[in-house]
Amino acid sequence: MNFFGMARKNALRKPLRTALLIICVTVAFLIYGLTASFVNGSQGGASGASENILGVMSAAGRTQPLPISYINRIKAEPDVLAVGYMTRLRGFATVEKNIIPVSAFDPRQLMDVNGKELGLTSQLMERFSENRGKVLVGRALAEAQGWKIGQRITVTSFDVQKQDGSRDWPFDIAGIFEGENASTDTYFVIAQYDYVNAMRSRHKDTVDAFVVRPQQHVAAGELAARIDQQFANSAAPTRTQSEKQFLEAFLRQYADIGLIVNLVVGAAFITLLMIIVNTMVFAVRERNFEIGVLKTLGFSDFRIMILILGETLFIFAVGGGIGLAGAMAFAAFSSPALGLVLSMELFFNAMIMIIALGIATGALPARNALKTPAVTALRAR
Amino acid sequence: MTYDSTQSPYIVLNAIRKGYRIGSETVPIFSNLDLEIPRGDFVAIMGPSGSGKSTLLSMLAGIDRPDSGSLCIGTCLLHQMGEAARTAWRAGNMGIVFQFYNLLPMLNAAENVELPLLLRPLSSKERRVRVEKVLDLVGLAGRGNQHPKLMSGGQQQRVGIARAIVTDPPLLLCDEPTGDLDRKSAEDILGMLRVLNKEMGKTIVMVTHDPQAAQYASRTLHLDKGIFTEERRAAR
Repeated sequence: MNFFGMARKNALRKPLRTALLIICVTVAFLIYGLTASFVNGSQGGASGASENILGVMSAAGRTQPLPISYINRIKAEPDVLAVGYMTRLRGFATVEKNIIPVSAFDPRQLMDVNGKELGLTSQLMERFSENRGKVLVGRALAEAQGWKIGQRITVTSFDVQKQDGSRDWPFDIAGIFEGENASTDTYFVIAQYDYVNAMRSRHKDTVDAFVVRPQQHVAAGELAARIDQQFANSAAPTRTQSEKQFLEAFLRQYADIGLIVNLVVGAAFITLLMIIVNTMVFAVRERNFEIGVLKTLGFSDFRIMILILGETLFIFAVGGGIGLAGAMAFAAFSSPALGLVLSMELFFNAMIMIIALGIATGALPARNALKTPAVTALRAR
Repeated sequence: MTYDSTQSPYIVLNAIRKGYRIGSETVPIFSNLDLEIPRGDFVAIMGPSGSGKSTLLSMLAGIDRPDSGSLCIGTCLLHQMGEAARTAWRAGNMGIVFQFYNLLPMLNAAENVELPLLLRPLSSKERRVRVEKVLDLVGLAGRGNQHPKLMSGGQQQRVGIARAIVTDPPLLLCDEPTGDLDRKSAEDILGMLRVLNKEMGKTIVMVTHDPQAAQYASRTLHLDKGIFTEERRAAR
């Protein structure tokens, strides 16, 4: 037996009470794991998107086109390392709710600007460039749709019509890109700009955005301001943001998901804190006499505090562990379309929360136990 | 904080005053109590309820302090020591046997006995060897895995004694150790205390209401209204 074993036995002396507390903690950490994974994934955002890569869009709105000729003026900016243009083709496959995001780039420009972040290899780009109808599909999207290399897919666009009046865009899958890491958004198709531009009926030779990679050690914010200044008095002024800022702003169109998640998780944890503190205060008060016995045997205040904190830490470690394991399993086996990403950082934060809440919930009962003198505690029976 | 006396008694209480506050009044328990107990003695303290027996035992155990006067055990001046120092002193110098055993219900017999050893820098193997040895000494060999609630009162008190002596302390304090036992079990327990006193040299202070239990001690002190009124030495 050791101190932790004793704390564990204390926790398990009322199995139903302990089981209920563990369930509370499990549910709280499951909520935390899933919501934080969602924020992590949806803002693939917030963690996966680059702070340095800039997107130049129309100041009038992200759906308004920009002239393709802007690329020369952006490229002329000395702090720009590489620049590429892009147009979007938002559509669906088979049924309308099965949304397929398509971004059309110039392959060479894409490799220079965003190849590293998207995990593009030269072999992949070679296959992609074989003809204009080829596309690359992100790993998450390919798995969600069950698509394979060499397969022909058809994306029906919501708003981009072809010259023949059809909105069906056939593509051949040349390869699957993995993304630089687990938090990179790979739920989209990379098509070729020339193909889309040649076939579409409207907005020819326009782009939805320019993607800019600044030179190293250049402040991205300052460069963004300079680019926007260049076009401030033109017919189509621009708004330049980092990829991360863009994604966050895009998500904020619907709601401040991060804030909502923090409020939900905060409420869950504060409720949890109160439930467990209250239960532990009563549990320790029931044991006042035994604590008096331990003090009489020579257990110092510190050791008694360790016993009580050990008990709450045990409850949080078991409950939090199960909750996080559940969230990890859910993230691993859920559809990639949900975009749940349980990163190591999130896991580490959860560990810190488990320890902090374990200590916080044990602190008050421990203080109560310590302030009762042994001679008084022994009379408590 | 040491008491330098090679020939002096092991326990010395000098001019002890102790009272309890009840509301705005202080009810005196001891006004001027003196006591000396030599090392290796077996003293029984008897007296009516409210005479101060338990308070005296609490002070000897270091869980309570006199209001004034000096209390010296071995070389330690307990009346001058703070709470933390007295707690550390208890862990190394004293074992206590309670009337109602006071075993922790979630631990088995061996784990209850092991409790004081957790405070010492011993490996789990060393602790296990010591626990087995004292359980054997109190006649509970092989019953370490049994839970206290499945044991008789006499067996639980044996576990209590094993817990009190597992660290081999020089002083054993017993608070009505046979008060909750039948006569046969009580005699077994008292016989065990006598062995601990005679063969292992433990100094034992036992508070009891039972005159038959007191006969096992080498001397009996009668406490009444906070003063010792009578001292009787055993004939044997």
